[in-house]
Amino acid sequence: MEVSIRLNGNNQTFECEVHDTLLTLLRREGMASVRFGSTSGETGAAAILIDGKLASSDVVLAAQADEHEVTTLESLNTERGLHPLQDAFTATGAMQSGYSVGAMILGTLALLAHDPDPSEADIRDMLSGILDRETAYVKPVAAIRRAAALMRGDDVEAFEPLMLEPMTDGVNAVEVTEDDPPPNAPPAVPRVVTSPDVPEMEVVGRPEVKVDAVRLVKGNPAFTADFEMRDLLHAKVLRSPHAHARIVSIDDSAARSLPGVHAVIHHGNTARVKYASGGQSYPNPKPHDQVSFDDVVRHVGDRVAAVAAETPEIAAEACRLIEVTYEILPAVFDELETRLDGAPIIHPEEDTIDIVDREHNVVHRMHAHRGDVEVALNNADHVYEQTFRVHQVQQCPIEPHISVAWLDSDERLVVRTATQVPFHTRRMLAPLIDMEVKDIRVIKPRIGGGFGAKQEMLIEDIAAHLAIATHRPVQLELTREEEFFASRTRHPQTITYRTGVDSDGTLVAQDMTLVGNTGPYGAHGLTVQIVTGLRGLTSYNCDNKQFNCDVVYTNIPVPGAYRGYGAPQALFALESHMEDIADDLGIDPIGFRRQNWVKVGDEMNIAPHLGEGGASDEELDEYPVVESNGIEECVAQGMRAISWHRRSDPDWRAPADRPHIRRGLGFAFCMHGTAIPFLDMGGASIKLNDDGSFNLLVGATDLGTGADTVLAQIAAEVLGVRLEDIIIYSSDTDMTPFDTGAYASSTTYISGTAVQKASRVVATRLRERAAMLLGVDAPESIQLRDRSAWTPDGRSVTLEEVALDSLHINEQEQIMGTASHVSPDSPPPFAAQFVETEVDIQTGQVTVISMVMAVDCGVTINPITASGQVEGGMLQALGYAHCEEIVLDDDGKMVNPAFGPYRIYTADEMPHTEVFLVQTMEATGPFGAKAVAEIPKDGVAPALRNAIANATGTRIYDLPFTPERVHRALNNV
Amino acid sequence: MPRATSYHRPTTIEGAVTLLAAQDHMALAGGTILNADDDPTPVAMVDLQGLGLTDMESGADRIRLGAMVTLDNLKSDDRVPDSVRDAARAELPSTLRTLATVGGTVAVGDPDSVLLAALLVHAAEVHVAGPDGTGGAPLANVLRSNGPCHGHLITAVSLTTGGTTVCESVGRTPADTPIVSATGRYLDGVTTVALTGVASTPVLIDPGDPTSGLEPLGDFRGSADYRLHLASVLTDRILASLKDAS
Repeated sequence: MEVSIRLNGNNQTFECEVHDTLLTLLRREGMASVRFGSTSGETGAAAILIDGKLASSDVVLAAQADEHEVTTLESLNTERGLHPLQDAFTATGAMQSGYSVGAMILGTLALLAHDPDPSEADIRDMLSGILDRETAYVKPVAAIRRAAALMRGDDVEAFEPLMLEPMTDGVNAVEVTEDDPPPNAPPAVPRVVTSPDVPEMEVVGRPEVKVDAVRLVKGNPAFTADFEMRDLLHAKVLRSPHAHARIVSIDDSAARSLPGVHAVIHHGNTARVKYASGGQSYPNPKPHDQVSFDDVVRHVGDRVAAVAAETPEIAAEACRLIEVTYEILPAVFDELETRLDGAPIIHPEEDTIDIVDREHNVVHRMHAHRGDVEVALNNADHVYEQTFRVHQVQQCPIEPHISVAWLDSDERLVVRTATQVPFHTRRMLAPLIDMEVKDIRVIKPRIGGGFGAKQEMLIEDIAAHLAIATHRPVQLELTREEEFFASRTRHPQTITYRTGVDSDGTLVAQDMTLVGNTGPYGAHGLTVQIVTGLRGLTSYNCDNKQFNCDVVYTNIPVPGAYRGYGAPQALFALESHMEDIADDLGIDPIGFRRQNWVKVGDEMNIAPHLGEGGASDEELDEYPVVESNGIEECVAQGMRAISWHRRSDPDWRAPADRPHIRRGLGFAFCMHGTAIPFLDMGGASIKLNDDGSFNLLVGATDLGTGADTVLAQIAAEVLGVRLEDIIIYSSDTDMTPFDTGAYASSTTYISGTAVQKASRVVATRLRERAAMLLGVDAPESIQLRDRSAWTPDGRSVTLEEVALDSLHINEQEQIMGTASHVSPDSPPPFAAQFVETEVDIQTGQVTVISMVMAVDCGVTINPITASGQVEGGMLQALGYAHCEEIVLDDDGKMVNPAFGPYRIYTADEMPHTEVFLVQTMEATGPFGAKAVAEIPKDGVAPALRNAIANATGTRIYDLPFTPERVHRALNNV
Repeated sequence: MPRATSYHRPTTIEGAVTLLAAQDHMALAGGTILNADDDPTPVAMVDLQGLGLTDMESGADRIRLGAMVTLDNLKSDDRVPDSVRDAARAELPSTLRTLATVGGTVAVGDPDSVLLAALLVHAAEVHVAGPDGTGGAPLANVLRSNGPCHGHLITAVSLTTGGTTVCESVGRTPADTPIVSATGRYLDGVTTVALTGVASTPVLIDPGDPTSGLEPLGDFRGSADYRLHLASVLTDRILASLKDAS
């Protein structure tokens, strides 16, 4: 059919199918800013303006738009520069991946057309339909306020951090009273607490604009789906309706006969090559318990077959035509039940090896200890034992998994894919498709969020198989439903602590028993549970520690990597447990922790025993030591910001005018890691251009975090140039150096150090060439700053002159440097998490009022991107604590695979969110930096739990704090 | 993925009614439900946007809402009672509210719809057109019948204005679709209460015995017993609020 639309001011006529959505039509017409997030309109990634009103184009038929005016973000792109709205979002750092920022800008355009000075409530209402998993909506609200001011013609100030003097000496606690007023600034403004140990720098530490901002705020092609391919085929996957079944037969004849179908693959026509899908370093942890297509399905949503066809609709129809006969097998979902005698065996097949106890579904069994826990428990003045249960949640990137694979003109396989681990993906993919690594090229464009879900070789093999089978480019994009139950999730766990405490509050024994549920496949099962043990037993000094862990198979949707990687589970249990011990002992909860938490110089005595390869008990000569720790300053800043003194005020806790409401404040001490020592490795390559700019190539994977910006800032600082003089490119396995990928809070620390090293190589050569030009004998005396090389006596030569000389005139050479970095250290970032909540004691409804996190992440390379990481991390952590959960029915089918019933926080319901960045100098990090990406995930759940306990006196041992669960706890049901 | 096999945009009520008489034809009001449905059964879409049912007509104590009035328009029009405006705002987020319509909301009859609860306490009447002419029925009856009869088209919803209204709800988060909500209205000595989340559609209940006759289906957000508990608690609260207000 034909539709006439006034698109971005031009009357146009388009041919479309009756069933085409407006999203489909607009993307076909090259409107890359309109992006797929779901087919339900829930994500808002596809929001556009119809007759000036914001609307989700994925639930509008193209035909419905006939005779209407449609506006996309591209309408603002009339010049090379930025529209004021785009400028406002750029200046405030109101985007991370930027996948949905186009929708936000369009919404702002519509909002300001009606009200040039909207209230915050109106701004948040406008944003309510655009889900953002990354910014917590903090900086977008600031951006819209700024945009309104710009459009009104008001003067606006530069968006810069609020610099605060420290409240402590960095070592000793200070008393914080109600007379200490918190700093006054909008929530979006990062509060940076200065340190005398941290020098002022030119580019590092500055609120630089993201290097990829222009392409994001303009909606230019940036993501996997944005690049057009001639003759592209579309893939769909037929998935199991059963939690556990044997495939007796597959008849694909009807599917193959369907016009437009080019290939159908399943276990009958693909090679059986065992692998583990977790995107990890070589060798991938065993067992290798997956194949591309198996004759057994082990969870609802498991792969059965895949189809490549001319359109997604034909591929979906072909999947429906595949006749599969299943022999349904018994299934088990609970991590404790699966170990019992008689439980169904998930992996009886002989070619899956290295399962510890196959009959009881125990894939790994781990033990580590220091000292003698049992003796210490026997001798302790007090012994406390508690068991906690943490649930299954999904990462929910707004961009679902998507891969496009094709054979290039040399018949090498190229895969453009939304991955956090392009190099691991290349290596892991090769054997599955019977190609050599050198014959595969993996390109990572911008990624619309990953959070660990994309630290997996999840769908690339399917796209590759189909591309090879058809000799056509093939795109596979998961639906939102598939993203929920057929990608990856956070591991559910049962955690038991036994803790010995002496009467003076000293910890004498910590015993942690963990049963981790890795679903039907090992994936990240080993390492996530190890990290749970590591994080659960490292925060506090204690001579006697013990970790026992079973990692077990079940038939739930597959868990994997999720930002925090086992730490959020551990810290929920640990920090709840510590709170309750303090309460039972009648000790101040922060004081009790302070008495025991690790300080500078303290040994992390069990950390090396809980490493990437599993647990070990071998005594070591040397143990890692805490070198930097800003927790006292974090606590002081957080206590002041949250008005901690209210915690013991009975009138505040039980407001007289709201008899069913109780208020509470909660705290959690957070300690995380920075990269995986001796394992995570990043490479960097830099070359000088004619004009004194530099190309920086890194394998590191910016998935919206701002990594590219931070790495470019590090290079600019070393080379004495501006950020815009660094042109960074990442990542492409043919072009860029190796990097393990974006995980384990490693990019700034590992890849950043690689960049720093490579930059120093270049800087050394620049000094030498400048010395030649300036007639200086001592190149080391030359300083690089302001895009020039300076002698001590004030003479200079520009880097452009150095470049032109070296490339064209004298002793020509390409000035370039390469370096890589692996670290023996994993310096811990620390944080103080505070939460304020209200609890309705009649209904159990929990309302979170405020979240404050003060983080010691070493030296902050970029306060805007760093604070954005913390804001977004807290948002996800709040969802984990409060509302998100994957719910399975009795047959293992997820009952809530959509954002409405699953529930992630929207802009119009966010609590007040505030971030402090406490500066410390970490000697092992680039310019003093430690990690910031994952620690925001760790503290919200226990802090909220402890706030509920403060409000009501009720302790809750499982997540999330949904109304009925809390109601039952309040009533001891 | 939409399952549209043909698309029609009638410009008269009669034309729409004729189209909707066919078994596989469905009314496309805003599209937020129908276009998001992944049921592959083929459907002929009858888009109602050409019918002009977008007017709001207000009188002394009533307002008549055209069936194609969007929830966004409802939220923004100060002729509409505040309780209905607030409910329209809470019903859907910004990007769907501009598409979803009053008529579509009534036709779907979502048991969790706070907008329907607000309309119920405002004594809403549903106006329909069908092969046998036009007519009207109380919203409560339409909901009990699972929407208008096949082949009939909702043309408008009218409601009474005035009175004092209060809404209380419990959800997982502040903007979550409530597990249970209670909307109450006090007018001329009469209190009316509607609940969501306790039956197959929003229902009017006896304020003196709020759980009488209710047999809610539980789900992961709230068991049947919990929903009954919330029905009692929330009804008590709105009755107390209305008493204070009156």
